Amino acid sequence: MTAATGTQHARRGPAPIAQRRREALWLGTLPFAVALAIWWVLPKLVDYPPYMLPSIAMVLDYAKESVLDGSLAKNIGASLGRLLLGFVIGMALAIPAGLAIALNRHVADMFRPVLSFLQAIAGIAWVPLTIIWFGVGNGSVIFVIANTIFFASLYNTVIGVQSIPLALHRAVRSHGGSGLSLLTNLILPGALVQILLGIRTSMAYGWRALVASEMIAGSNGLGFMTMEAVQWQRTEVIILGMIVIGLIWVVMDRTVFTTIERRTVGRWGLLQR
Amino acid sequence: MSAAITAAPPRARPFGRRFGRGLKGLAGVLLLLGAWQASVPLVGMSSYFYPSPADVIVAFADLVRKGILPVYLADSMIRYLTGLTIGALLGVGLGVLIGLHRTASLALSPLFRFLFAIVEVAWIPIFVVWFGYGVKTIVLALIYVVFFPVLYNTLLGVRTAPQLLVNAVRSLGGSRLQVLRLVILPSALPGIITGLRVGAGFAFRGLVFAEIVAAKTGIGYLIFEGTQSQQTARTIVGMIVMGLLWLAIDQFYLRPIERATIQRWGLTVDAEQQA
Repeated sequence: MTAATGTQHARRGPAPIAQRRREALWLGTLPFAVALAIWWVLPKLVDYPPYMLPSIAMVLDYAKESVLDGSLAKNIGASLGRLLLGFVIGMALAIPAGLAIALNRHVADMFRPVLSFLQAIAGIAWVPLTIIWFGVGNGSVIFVIANTIFFASLYNTVIGVQSIPLALHRAVRSHGGSGLSLLTNLILPGALVQILLGIRTSMAYGWRALVASEMIAGSNGLGFMTMEAVQWQRTEVIILGMIVIGLIWVVMDRTVFTTIERRTVGRWGLLQR
Repeated sequence: MSAAITAAPPRARPFGRRFGRGLKGLAGVLLLLGAWQASVPLVGMSSYFYPSPADVIVAFADLVRKGILPVYLADSMIRYLTGLTIGALLGVGLGVLIGLHRTASLALSPLFRFLFAIVEVAWIPIFVVWFGYGVKTIVLALIYVVFFPVLYNTLLGVRTAPQLLVNAVRSLGGSRLQVLRLVILPSALPGIITGLRVGAGFAFRGLVFAEIVAAKTGIGYLIFEGTQSQQTARTIVGMIVMGLLWLAIDQFYLRPIERATIQRWGLTVDAEQQA
């Protein structure tokens, strides 16, 4: 997303890289600086109850407090643990189901309408029902994440198998491969790239489902922490929660998903952008 | 995303094959319903814990007769369309601005990337503090969800607009506004539609969640309230209506629009770029 590739700017001669970097840096930080300045100055200009927008100092104080007493780390750990468990369960079910659908026309025809429907309601809409079934807490949240990840990844697995060129099928077959060897030598590796690249989208849905279901059905975790704070009007907790939710996503995106993309591209050269 | 499991190649299929597929699909639906009905005595719990299909049909008839379901459906749709429209307009506007204006791009890209990472779900608590439980909170959350996919896809469309055509219009004496109208927007359109479709999918879940938290009407509220008032069959009615509603939106609105724009513009743009 660097501006240098834009249509309009291509015409200008290339500025020195150092100068362009400096410009990008100060322009990019400008809106953040403005927002912080407004946040800082607003209580002095307008009279409003502090619970509507706590001061920067209050947020920092709470950040310090929650880091020192370990409660923030505990909430982050709880959220990430559930996300991971839900992800593993969802993927473990989605890949075999996706292979069955992609490889067998009868299975596909029979389950397509049902699965499209279940996919349409996947995720957060299950929370009220899971609260009855599993109670408030881990069970409900993990069910919702696994459910979300399953339907997001199912699609990727099917697409992955279907995008394997027919010529490769014929090649394996004409060399006498069939059944299990077809599966392990062609279909699984062929579909793997799409499955891996699809993890980012699946996780985008899964991450939302995690935060949302913790808000309604959690007993700890980041979503629970921010929603619980509404009742006590502790807005500084909400804001810290939002920042942490944003930061964790950025870190996951930068480390895990980008690495997956680079590795898969490096190996199979398939990225389309 | 809910192009889903289908992913059928876009050529017409013979009627017999389609009919056979429909029949098998119906068999799948009936199998699911049958398994559900058969499992009710096996689970052996109250209808509060595990309602049967018959309970759900009764609840559905009841909700329709009392006029609750139509009102909830209309409320949800109005919120959804309002959020979708405003979010899409903002996304397209700012996408074009960032795509064409270098300074705006440098200034706003990091901010938007940061805001995009704070998912809309996380904004709902603070919206509740600021605007209370109600329509404002819901619509704002929806605007937030739709905005980013539309923004980034518009941006992509604007930046891949063929420079050749921009130069052509300019050298034939066209104004900047004409470049925008004749080159940039048409070539960004497939991207805008893609963004809208992605956004519409996220927003639909966002709608249900926001209504669970912050509404007193709507499909999300129906799903939530059903279990709160020990009428679990109502919750399942809500989930079924939600699923069918999304399939209908996808099938009758999003896909035709996507098909129309991609057929009209998508391929031409590709061909021009290769030329």
